Amino acid sequence: MNPAPRGTTVASAFTRLLEMLRPDLLRFAYWLARDRSIAEDVVQETLVRAWKSRAELKDPAAARPWLFTILRREHARLYERKRLPTVDVDELEALGDPALASDGEAGLLDLRRAILQLPDEYREPLVLQVLGGHSTAEIAAELELTQAAVLTRLFRARNRLREVYGLEAAEDVE
Amino acid sequence: MSGVIPDCRHARLHIGADPQHLPADVRAHVSGCEGCRHFLDESLGLDARVRRAMELPLGQFRATGSATARAPRRLALAASVVLALMIGGGFWFLQATPALAGEIAEHVMHEAGSWDRQEPLSAAAVGEVLRQAGVQFDSSFPVVYASACPFRGRRIPHLVVQTPEGPLTVMLLAHETVAAPREFSEQGLSGMLLPAGSGGVAVLARAGEVPGDLAGRIVSGVRW
Repeated sequence: MNPAPRGTTVASAFTRLLEMLRPDLLRFAYWLARDRSIAEDVVQETLVRAWKSRAELKDPAAARPWLFTILRREHARLYERKRLPTVDVDELEALGDPALASDGEAGLLDLRRAILQLPDEYREPLVLQVLGGHSTAEIAAELELTQAAVLTRLFRARNRLREVYGLEAAEDVE
Repeated sequence: MSGVIPDCRHARLHIGADPQHLPADVRAHVSGCEGCRHFLDESLGLDARVRRAMELPLGQFRATGSATARAPRRLALAASVVLALMIGGGFWFLQATPALAGEIAEHVMHEAGSWDRQEPLSAAAVGEVLRQAGVQFDSSFPVVYASACPFRGRRIPHLVVQTPEGPLTVMLLAHETVAAPREFSEQGLSGMLLPAGSGGVAVLARAGEVPGDLAGRIVSGVRW
């Protein structure tokens, strides 16, 4: 049997990589958008764009941050294009989303709701760090912030979650 | 920051922001400050929970693109993705997700030479691999092979440890959820997938089964 053409092999490997990372892309999109339908749409558009730009990905180990960056931009684009309204935290439909409680682990539901209620400026760097595996320097570059500002935002994000986890909030940093 | 001893406020900013990756000066401060050490332990516990919380189960999500009438363009895009992926040979949505165990075995088979290493590596060499992957591992056994390997879009430590029962491959999977221990046999290799905090550890034997007690000792040395 003739070996598969190199182009096919590379495309297949890329496909597999996308397949493996798709669950985390969906999660990232969900935590960004706080809406399942929007998250699913953003992921689809991300996959299309990634597929078209696949030649730009030189190192498979960098696939995750590369895809997360694409997804973040697609998410922003969607809001620009569709002029989706911003939602008041207290009216977030996602707080009642059954997906939040679907694994039934005690305490996780409260934590998930608390993450959803974090302001965008705190939630986004936290999700980039925890799910995306971005360093603070990478987050700073991605969000066009100083590294000190990223540290402060991450600190404050976790500080808000400490109380939900049953810990005393730490003294704020300035 | 070099040359300046950080105070508790500075240390806690770093711990609160990124407890997994502390600068050397903050680590030095923590080692001598009980309050900050306690804060770090708390923060690491919280971090593991936050990771679990963010790793939302996806059972409630649709398998493919939008099926609503409000977004026909996205349906077209979804169709184009499926088509492109099928052309690429992936059959994305038609195939079951490859099992983690199978991918691990396949990866190990690609680095089969790792089994033949006998010379223990220095702590610095192992530490560098762990640092690249952002994990900690205090091995009970000499590490004779260590590589930060690309796996599922991340760098993970791929190690071989020499045990009294022979070499065992250890892969530290900080970002894979392993709900319960399970044995597997793939590509002629026997292995175990074990939960470890918010992640998992794969232990594989070159021949025969992985001794459960050794696997347990290995997992006890892992810290994310």
